Amino acid sequence: MSDIFRELEEVTVEQYDHYDLPKWLADPVLMVARNPETYEGKEYLVEILVAQVREYDVYAEAGCCKWAYDHEDIKRTLRWLEE
Amino acid sequence: MAIYLDCNATTPVEPSVASVVMRFLEKDFGNAASPIHDYGVFALAAVEHARGQVAEVVKARRDEVIFTSGATESNNLALLGLAEAGIRSGRRHLITTAIEHKAVLEPFDEMARLGFEVQILPVQADGRFDPQRLADSLRPDTLLVSTMQVNNETGVLQPLTEVANIVSNHDTWWHVDAAQGFGKELEQLRHPRIDFISISGHKIYGPKGIGALIARKHDRQFPPLRPLMFGGGQEQALRPGTLPVPLIAGLGEAAKLAVRNNGERIEKCRTFREKALATFSSLGAEQNGTEEYTLPHVLNISLPGINSELAIKALKNVIAVSSTSACTSHTRTPSHVLAAMGLSSDQVEQSIRLSWCHMTPEVDWSEVETIFRVLRG
Repeated sequence: MSDIFRELEEVTVEQYDHYDLPKWLADPVLMVARNPETYEGKEYLVEILVAQVREYDVYAEAGCCKWAYDHEDIKRTLRWLEE
Repeated sequence: MAIYLDCNATTPVEPSVASVVMRFLEKDFGNAASPIHDYGVFALAAVEHARGQVAEVVKARRDEVIFTSGATESNNLALLGLAEAGIRSGRRHLITTAIEHKAVLEPFDEMARLGFEVQILPVQADGRFDPQRLADSLRPDTLLVSTMQVNNETGVLQPLTEVANIVSNHDTWWHVDAAQGFGKELEQLRHPRIDFISISGHKIYGPKGIGALIARKHDRQFPPLRPLMFGGGQEQALRPGTLPVPLIAGLGEAAKLAVRNNGERIEKCRTFREKALATFSSLGAEQNGTEEYTLPHVLNISLPGINSELAIKALKNVIAVSSTSACTSHTRTPSHVLAAMGLSSDQVEQSIRLSWCHMTPEVDWSEVETIFRVLRG
């Protein structure tokens, strides 16, 4: 497994176990992390997903400026990965 | 083709950086300011991803990275952008050093024209400024201190950790021109006391035409910068204009690799350095700048009895080197850096800068040595 997929799994498990990442979002992300051969050639998108999971914030849209990532960002990247 | 030893002028581009740039030129060409469809949304995602990759190098926050066209623009934004704050507050004293790049010295000339008092600190023979001189120069009305991280001509690392301690009890703004050290010497720039960091993509195996000003926020507020251009409000209204997504994504990739491969790159440069040093030692070269603080990919030497222009021409089929910084070499003016270090005019005219990187192939040093010996007659 390449480093980026391993990193995605680690950060997703951590965000799910210790922070606010919900199961309904963690599960499809882990599907990506644990199936690197399916997403070969899409490592750039996986990198973006890693960053979005790491900076996931339920309240990302709150306040004047959006500087965290929310579930819409992650869902969108998951969709791009399937295209 | 000669082997390229002018990486302080510009570096080759990493293959994966070129791939990312091409992707956003050819396929994913959306405008990051039009996130009303997937083209724009993906462009915006790439920009924000790159912003995080650049921030990670210096442990800043993503929202503290302002993309610019390069370190020159970043320097101008940090320095001239503070002018209004200085005028309004009555703080008109500025401090910098004699070995800064023209992209710092000339904005300071402009600020002097606007009524600011610019104090230029001398440097020592080892190529470093004395932090104590800086401490002695700070005044209640000092608005800004600007010190480079690594000198572009000598590769000498400047005493930023000492500066951080000195300015920790002073409310001056502190700007660091890190064009030559960003992504190479990682720890210094992570000091939270540094308010502004200027960086350039093409010095870290990224594309030309892209850079960033990293401006650390205090209580979620930027320092009191004013933009130099207007129209569009991009980059938190500090740098308007349509974002060059391919270049930004390329810079992000280059920043990622700079962190990931830092140790490996340094080791390769050290190995190369040993051979270069052995060659020039045998020729009686004098190193300009202390070896102890010189980054492993740069060597500035003076070769007694050999004019640098003649040497560069004689070497042109073997190695491509320079005699001074890229931005001043075309003007044929003597190096202000070496002069500030106290070198004689003869030593300055005999100086050559060699700068390599982890991608540099092997050099036939015996051929280089032979050319120099012939030149010396």
